[in-house]
Amino acid sequence: MSASGNEETGMGPVNEPLAESRWESLARAAASGEKSEDVVLRREFVTFRLGEDAYALPIERVREVVRLRPITPMPRVPSAVRGVISLRGEVVQVVDLRGRLGMESAPAARTSRIIVLHGDDGAVAGLLVDLVRDVLRISEDEIRPCAANEADVVHSLLADGTKFVSLLDVDRVLTFDE
Amino acid sequence: MAARRKTPSRRSKAHREFVSEAEEILERMRDGLSDLADQQTNSGEADPEVINQLFRSAHSLKGLSGMFGLDGLGELAHHLEDVLDRVRLGRAGLDAAALGLLDESVALVALTLEKVESGTQDELLDRVAEVIGRIDAWARSPEPATEAAEIELDPAMLRALTEYEEHRLQENIRRGRRIQVVEASFDILAFEEGLAELTGAVREVGEVLSILPSPGEGDESQIRFSLLVATEIPPGDLEARLEMPGASVREASRAGGAPAVAEPTAVLASDSAVEPSLDAAPELTSLKSISDTVRVDIRKLDELMNLVGELVVQRGALARIARELQALPETARLAADLDKVHKGFERKLQDLQSGVLETRMVPLRQVFEKLSRVVRRLRRDTEKEVRLELRGADTELDKLIVEELVDPVMHIVRNAFDHAMEAPEERLAAGKPAEGCIRLEASQRGNDVVITCSDDGRGIDPAVVHSRAIERGIVSENAPLADREVLDLIFAPGLTTCTEVTETSGRGVGMDVVRANITALGGLVEAQSELGRGTTVTMTLPITLAIIQALIVGVADQQFAIPLNSVRETLLVEPDEVQRSEGRELLNLRGDALPLRRLGREFGLGGEDQSRTGKQYSVVLGLGDTRVGLLVDRLEGQQDTVIKPIQGPIDSIRGIAGATELGDGGAVLVLDVAALVEDGLRGGDSA
Repeated sequence: MSASGNEETGMGPVNEPLAESRWESLARAAASGEKSEDVVLRREFVTFRLGEDAYALPIERVREVVRLRPITPMPRVPSAVRGVISLRGEVVQVVDLRGRLGMESAPAARTSRIIVLHGDDGAVAGLLVDLVRDVLRISEDEIRPCAANEADVVHSLLADGTKFVSLLDVDRVLTFDE
Repeated sequence: MAARRKTPSRRSKAHREFVSEAEEILERMRDGLSDLADQQTNSGEADPEVINQLFRSAHSLKGLSGMFGLDGLGELAHHLEDVLDRVRLGRAGLDAAALGLLDESVALVALTLEKVESGTQDELLDRVAEVIGRIDAWARSPEPATEAAEIELDPAMLRALTEYEEHRLQENIRRGRRIQVVEASFDILAFEEGLAELTGAVREVGEVLSILPSPGEGDESQIRFSLLVATEIPPGDLEARLEMPGASVREASRAGGAPAVAEPTAVLASDSAVEPSLDAAPELTSLKSISDTVRVDIRKLDELMNLVGELVVQRGALARIARELQALPETARLAADLDKVHKGFERKLQDLQSGVLETRMVPLRQVFEKLSRVVRRLRRDTEKEVRLELRGADTELDKLIVEELVDPVMHIVRNAFDHAMEAPEERLAAGKPAEGCIRLEASQRGNDVVITCSDDGRGIDPAVVHSRAIERGIVSENAPLADREVLDLIFAPGLTTCTEVTETSGRGVGMDVVRANITALGGLVEAQSELGRGTTVTMTLPITLAIIQALIVGVADQQFAIPLNSVRETLLVEPDEVQRSEGRELLNLRGDALPLRRLGREFGLGGEDQSRTGKQYSVVLGLGDTRVGLLVDRLEGQQDTVIKPIQGPIDSIRGIAGATELGDGGAVLVLDVAALVEDGLRGGDSA
């Protein structure tokens, strides 16, 4: 029950080694006497795609990534909530990110993944996406604020080389108005 | 139902351990206090061991609070300790004032601990300061004048007594007991055992005031002890009772003779250098813990239960594989072996399951004791004379259910006290004994535990309830209702059960909330009453929520689980049997109208209208005396299931209690029967 890795995904427990390295660089900086303002904070994001659009989530909110599995539909919920999955004894709701962003939902594909997120109160939720790409490491100054998108869940862009990736506000994604 | 602990606590482990340990101490203190109060009313004499135990608990609480930086709580515990210390040293009597202060302090400790959970304990600092102020004031009141009793005792021995021991000595002399000295030698390598045996034997007939090592008699392999003992029986009898060859008993002479007076009183007056220490309590025998129980976080048991639940699911898969293999001739022999292994596995799994369930069981005793404290306090605060009779305190229930039961049961008992019980004069006038009786009784019946609370008070007048319900628009004026149905209205929201409003029941919970709480636990609550004779409230609860039997039903292409304890029966329904009345569908169930709900329509599953396409099944759901039929497409069997909370952004969905896993690893939603029945009765379309 406590195992957080998952051999099915090939990603395993993504957050730990990477999140650690950020602390490492901070610690090294502190040890060599630099002031913390001088340190370029590097942050890590899990990037994924809906169709051609690239999105990212802060890695500390991602618990694991699992393959698409049978989703039991739930009645009386917003249509973006696809239903629940059983995850090693836990029952977790899955939000279809396409639906949440007002896009057409896509048929299940070989690359479809559920990103399992830590919610803001310790509860867990799943996010259905088309394809998970990789982990993007960028410094804080490469995060650009932008005008909120239609669903009000994107407030900044990440500069990935020459491309921009939309950074999702996890808590807003997981908030449904009555 | 099962979604209560969906959010794992973010408090640190150390923090949780503090709270759980402090709660344990608190529980011991409450037990001690209620023992004290009982002893006080029964014999007027408090058991010194109980006071000592309370004193030790307060001391531990003080230390614990200090460790966690809870200064307010530490200060309070320190003052509690002070009060108890004064009482055990005889510097203050255990009067109503002292008992009141103790009760109040302990209640405040409980409240503080509750607040610690949310980190808001500082809100109570004013109250803590106020109670501490009153303890200080109480402590300043003059000590009761006690004459030093006189006893002729070996001055060396007398000098070795702690202040506490001396106080106990004085107290026993005052009560006219014989003071005797028991002496015994033990092998130095094994003296602990021998000494424990000896003190145990002495305690059966008296009080061990002090245990002192005596000067040896030359033999270095021996250690000699003198026990100062207070008892009612003469030395010869005591020696016979002890049945220990090495032990001798002599009377510490008890004379009012002049020569002895000077010395002991001098000792009593002088400030003895020996501090009354905790270790001075006569238990210097062993550091090994006496208890062979362990304390386990309920979450760990939840985890174990989950694992067992998953094994149950996998066992189902094994059974399926065995069946499939049996169908093929080339694997039939292997399949038979597999089947045998599977059967053995199933049996062991059942043992494991009941073993884990058993570890979650706790007796109702704690709940009952809390209630007797409440009744005692109520009795103190009001003019009523009420006796609380408790039966079946050893009946066991799942820890979680017991926790959730405290408030509803408390409410029922307070209701009985506040509203059902008449004043003594009124009772006498009605030809009843002046003292009323509330009887709380628990017993196990199969997989249920039945708790009844009956009183011999004034009873509930159905006519009054009925007219109230009409007034409030809960029932219509001309609806014919049987008395039993009328009585059930006391559980309706918005109906107060009392005719006069004496709002001592200050918990803000009505009987509707009681019913909601009990129903949420998968239980039932019903009332019977006879005007002028009394009322009985009966609660029926499942022993555990961890594993429930469920009926699996199918609608369109989806499965649902329904807790079997609320399924009364299932019926095959032909389309033309469904009748309509005022837009609602009904079924004639042996002459009664059974309101019908279609699960498919309720949950918006599939567009086709099943009523035209063929036969369906009606699952008759029952809550108490209420019945609602739920129309489904298929009945797919029964299964043991573990109900899990549903995690995710949508907090709760009406009609869904949680989810469970069946053999294929997918999740199946578990229906919330209480909500479905309620909606079914209302008849409206909720969506």
